[in-house]
Amino acid sequence: MRPAVMRRKGDSVAARRPPRRGMGRGVAGLAAVLGVLVLSWTESPAGHERPSTGPERIVTLAPSVTEVVFALGMGERVVGTCAQCDWPVAAARRPRVGTYLAPSVEAVLGIQPDLVFVVPSPGNREAVRALERAGVRVVVVQDRTLDDLWQSIRIAAAVLAVPERGEALVHRLQGKLAAVRRRVSQRPQRRVLLVVGHRPLVVAGRGTLQSELLAVAGGRNVAEDVGEAFPQIGLETVIARAPEVIVDAGMGTETGARTVFRGLDIVPAVAAGRIVSVAADGLFRAGPRVAEGAKALARAVHPEAFDSGGARR
Amino acid sequence: MARGASEQRVPAAYLTARRLVGVLLLLGGLLVASLLAATLIGPTPIRLAAALGGDAGETPDHAIVFQARLPRVLLGGVVGASLAAAGAVLQALLGNALADPHLLGVSAGAAVAGVVVLVAGADPVSPLVPGAAFLGALATVAAVFLGARTGGRTSPHAILLVGVVCNALAASAIMLVNAIASYTQAQGVLFWIMGALSTQSYALVGAVAVYATLGLGWLWRHAHALNLLAAGEEGAASLGVDVERTRRAVFFGAALLVGAAVSVSGMIGFVGLIVPHVLRLILGPDLRLLLPASFLGGAIFLVWADTLARTVLGTSELPVGVVTAFLGGPFFVWLLRRSLRVGTEAR
Repeated sequence: MRPAVMRRKGDSVAARRPPRRGMGRGVAGLAAVLGVLVLSWTESPAGHERPSTGPERIVTLAPSVTEVVFALGMGERVVGTCAQCDWPVAAARRPRVGTYLAPSVEAVLGIQPDLVFVVPSPGNREAVRALERAGVRVVVVQDRTLDDLWQSIRIAAAVLAVPERGEALVHRLQGKLAAVRRRVSQRPQRRVLLVVGHRPLVVAGRGTLQSELLAVAGGRNVAEDVGEAFPQIGLETVIARAPEVIVDAGMGTETGARTVFRGLDIVPAVAAGRIVSVAADGLFRAGPRVAEGAKALARAVHPEAFDSGGARR
Repeated sequence: MARGASEQRVPAAYLTARRLVGVLLLLGGLLVASLLAATLIGPTPIRLAAALGGDAGETPDHAIVFQARLPRVLLGGVVGASLAAAGAVLQALLGNALADPHLLGVSAGAAVAGVVVLVAGADPVSPLVPGAAFLGALATVAAVFLGARTGGRTSPHAILLVGVVCNALAASAIMLVNAIASYTQAQGVLFWIMGALSTQSYALVGAVAVYATLGLGWLWRHAHALNLLAAGEEGAASLGVDVERTRRAVFFGAALLVGAAVSVSGMIGFVGLIVPHVLRLILGPDLRLLLPASFLGGAIFLVWADTLARTVLGTSELPVGVVTAFLGGPFFVWLLRRSLRVGTEAR
């Protein structure tokens, strides 16, 4: 039995995706604490349901899928991950079998997996074919949008023979997103620019996870009609679109976006000082932490909704 | 040699003060017109009256023209001028029609040094970055020159091959730094490879303009010696040119120009190849005229290339390096074929 291999939307994911943010040093301490919590949660899932079927040795070759598999409570079966798979903490301790964009075929074969999860990209296509030729079962899932996430959770749960956990996880995550949406639903929708790179200026456009999460967070992406994925834009387009909030999810220095937009008081976000750095992994990974990404965005776009008392008003 | 060919085709016009001033005034006028026109062209329609009438920060039109477009157009001019002037002297110095800061790996060398300094933690706007880029450019020029030199002359093929090697090495070095650097820094590294212009502060544009002007002045002083040198080292030496000193001085000046340009724009290719060539075909090879003309012509060329990059896709932009490569690639092949053909006939 071989699950359907999904290759919709083409394979050019990697080229347009901004690099994922590694964990900042400041977050590391917090992450360690959270990691222990998540560890105890994922490593001993609910107790009663202990599946005896399904693959026993799993390799996950993308941070998003790694997080999905761990969130499904199947983390202890993961025997290899990619170099960028840094969450949960237990995943980061698994053997690394190459990078997310370029997995090492021999490293994967060396740990003798009976199942490999990959996300399609131009960089790993040949490696995936080589694995399939070697007789390893490969399941390809997408991780670009929320719909991709729901689908990849269901596929992974089905393949791992825990379909109920998949439905439960989807339900729980959708509930978390709905909670964020409710929190800002009374607020007027704000015009937001989502910056992912500073020089040149690269923003999140149409069809991105970031744009979807922004909609959940009560914001409207002003670059929605500029282009798909991650278009490069000029400063004049920022002035013309007049965003009320600029979310700096860029990989540069802390002061990146502030430097780029310095002195542009004609832009409402700059004049009001609403240039907010958001460094949530959940913003860049279509994985189980998307709700945290949405919440971080909501805090940036509607800080009043998160003031003490502000929520009650 | 292609240089010989262009000398044959162009009627020997003596360089008079009148011709020099006339040509430079014409190009200068064209440059000013280009700067003005490019500032008025962009993906966002603007109302001219509001743009020019309003005080700073009052209307979006004013902000678009003076805070977004003008600094970028000026930066494009300065970068284009630097690259083309460097190309003009490198072609003369190496006796090679195909010399270009990008093809020779000089831009890549500057980029490697700039990237290393950035990743080591330097502020992107500090003078450390252009300084390092300058040293990187200088080291690469020296490496290419020494690597391709046999019997007192550099052969066109050897220099291209060494340039290819330098480019490949530099690209690998950048990828290596990229692999070691954190994600936070990796994004910044990408910019160096792409070759893109963006809006920068007037202060930074001014600083690069100072480097460019100093570099041009420095090289112009050696233009006459370079003319003689291009005709042959022995001849130049017998006419009183200090060959080694001139060569060092010119390398230094070219590296200064390339380093400053690369530090703010990454690796933009082919500007230093196309512009001096076209102008040499029109004006002849005398560097006293060709060098400042290339400086102005390079500015005009890159300003228009960037205008195309800013507008061709609507509100979304292309890196300008893409535009110059599309224009320059075919030109390079044409030039290479022409130089090979001329070389065969001469034999």
